[in-house]
Amino acid sequence: MNNEIVQFSALTVVLLLVFFYGGTFYISTRIGKKKENADDYMTAGNKIGFGISAASMTATWIWASSMYASATSGYTYGISGPIHYGLWGALMILFIYPFGKRIRKVAPRAHTLAEVMHARHGRSSQLMLAGSNIVGSVISLMSNFIAGGVLISMLSPFNFIQGVLAVAGGVLLYTLWSGFRASVLTDFVQVVAMLGAVAIIVPVIFFASGFPAAFETGASNLTPQQSNFFSSEAFLGQGAPYIAAVLAYAIGNQTIAQRLFAVREDLIKPTFITATIGYGAMVIGVGMLGVLALYIGFEPSGGDMNNLIPEMAASYLPGVLLALFFIMIIGALSSTADSDLAALSSIMMADVYGQNVAGKDKADPKKMLLIGRATMVVATALAVAFASMQLNILDLLVFVGALWGALVFPVLASFYWKKVTNKAFTVSVLVALAIFIPVRFELIPINGVTGLLIELLSVIGIGVVLALMSFGFFGLRVAKIVGVVAMLASAPFVFGFLRDYTTLSASLVAYSVSTIVCYLMSFRSKMEFDFDVIAVRTGDFDAVPAKTGAAEAGHDPKSLGGK
Amino acid sequence: MTTFFLSLYVLVWPVIVAGVLFFISRGFIQEWLEARRNGEDII
Repeated sequence: MNNEIVQFSALTVVLLLVFFYGGTFYISTRIGKKKENADDYMTAGNKIGFGISAASMTATWIWASSMYASATSGYTYGISGPIHYGLWGALMILFIYPFGKRIRKVAPRAHTLAEVMHARHGRSSQLMLAGSNIVGSVISLMSNFIAGGVLISMLSPFNFIQGVLAVAGGVLLYTLWSGFRASVLTDFVQVVAMLGAVAIIVPVIFFASGFPAAFETGASNLTPQQSNFFSSEAFLGQGAPYIAAVLAYAIGNQTIAQRLFAVREDLIKPTFITATIGYGAMVIGVGMLGVLALYIGFEPSGGDMNNLIPEMAASYLPGVLLALFFIMIIGALSSTADSDLAALSSIMMADVYGQNVAGKDKADPKKMLLIGRATMVVATALAVAFASMQLNILDLLVFVGALWGALVFPVLASFYWKKVTNKAFTVSVLVALAIFIPVRFELIPINGVTGLLIELLSVIGIGVVLALMSFGFFGLRVAKIVGVVAMLASAPFVFGFLRDYTTLSASLVAYSVSTIVCYLMSFRSKMEFDFDVIAVRTGDFDAVPAKTGAAEAGHDPKSLGGK
Repeated sequence: MTTFFLSLYVLVWPVIVAGVLFFISRGFIQEWLEARRNGEDII
C-alpha cells in the first residue's frame, strides 16, 4: 500500500518545539531556586504527592521506543502482539511495588539503589549497580535522541542531526537547573499530552483507515497465528523474553528507584497501581496501530518498523492532530530522557562523589550540585555524539539487561535476608554474567549435554522469576510453592526446545545462576545484618543530620551489619 | 473474534487512557490547590 505522507514546514516544527520545550522550561523556572538543595535536586525531599508521582512514574516507563516496539509487536504477531508487549511491561510496575515498599522502609531517605547497596554490602556491590545504571541511562538517552532525530527528519525539512540537537538541547534546557524536581513536574505536563493524544489519535486513525469494515476486508492479510489471540508464536517471540527482561529493568533501573525514593511513603501503592494501568493502556493502545496497519496491508517505507507509527499518523491524521502526535512522541522521549539525566546526576552525586570520593559526612552539597549539573551536560554531549554515529546499540542493551537480570535476586535478597554477604552478591553476579555471555552470543555450541544444562538452568530461571513475583505479594512460603510448580510445569516444554531461543534462555540463565550462587554462598554464612543500619548510613547530604530510630537506639553505623 | 469484539478490543484502550488521565489530573489539581492554601511549592 502506498501512502501520501504529510510533512510540516520548517517554521511549524520550530514553533512546535518552541511551544513544547519553551513550555517545559517555563515550568521549570517556576520551581527554580537560587540556592538549590542537593537532596531535593535528587529526590525532591522524599514527599511528592500522588498526581505528580503517578504521572512521573507513567511518563518515565513510557519511552518512544516502547510505543514503536508495541506497534511493531502488533504488526508482527497480530492481534495479541501489543498485549505481549504492553501488558507484561505494565505488570512489572505492579510486581515491584511490594519490593518498593520494603526498600523505602529500610532506606527512607536514600537517593539511589546503589547507595543502599553500599550501606548494605559495600563498594563492589554499589559500583556494579551504579555502573550498570550509568551505561543503561546513557544508552536510553541516546536511544531517545535518535527517536527524536528520526521523527523530526521524517516530518520536517530538517535532517537527523538537527533533530537530535534540538531534542537534546531542549531536554537539557529545562532539566539542568532544578534536576529531578524539574523532571517530575514536567513529567506531569508531558503525561497529560501523551495520554490525551492517545485517547484522541487511536480512534481517529481507526475510523480514518476504514475500520471496522477493514477487519473483514483485510482479514486475509493475517496468518492463522496472527489472527489467534492466544498465539504461541507471540508469547515465545515477544511475551516470554520480555517478562524476563522487564523484571530486571524495573528492579535495576535508577529512574524507577529515584521515583520510589521521592514519592510520599503512604502513596507508593496508589502511584504504582495508577502507573501500571496508565502505562499498559497507553502502550497497548498505540500498539493497536500496528494491528490496524497489518489488517490494511500498510507497509512502512524501507521495511523499517520505526517508520510504522509516524507514517500511519502522517497518512491518516489531519494537520492539527499530526501536530498533537508530534508532541506526544516528543513528550514520551523527553520525559524518559530527563529522567535519565536526573538518574545519572544522582549516581554521580551520591554514589561516586558522596559515598566514594568525599565520604557521606564530608560531602559538600554545593560541590554535589555542580557535579550533578556537569554530569547532565557531559551525558547529553556523549549521547548526542553516540546518536550521531548511529551505533548499533542492541548488543550493549542486551548486556545491560543481562547485568540487571543477574542483579535481581542478589539485590532483592539483600533487603530481606540477613545472611547475604558482599562476597556472595559480587561473586554471584559475576558468575551469572560469565555464563550468560557465551549463551547469549552462542559462543559455545548449545546442543547435547551443554544444551540440556542450559535448559535445566532456564527451568530454574523460570521458577526464580515467578517465585520472586509471588514473594513480594504473598511471602516466602507461597513463593517457594509457585517456584517449584513453575519449574515442574515448564520442564516438559523447555527440554529440547528452548535452546533455539537464546535471548530467552540466556536471560533465564542469568537469573538462575545468580540465585543459585548467591544462595549457596549465603545460607551457611554467619552474618546477621541489622537492617536498621541502612537508614543511618543513607540519608540527606544537604541538611543537619536528623536523629533516626537506629541512632536513637544507640546503634553505631560503623560497627553494625556484620561488617 | 467478530468485527464488533475486535473494534471493542482496539477502542477500549483509549477509553482506559482517558480514565487514568482524569485520575492523575484530579490528583495533581488537588495537590496544587493544597500547596497554594499552605503557601508552599507543589514540589
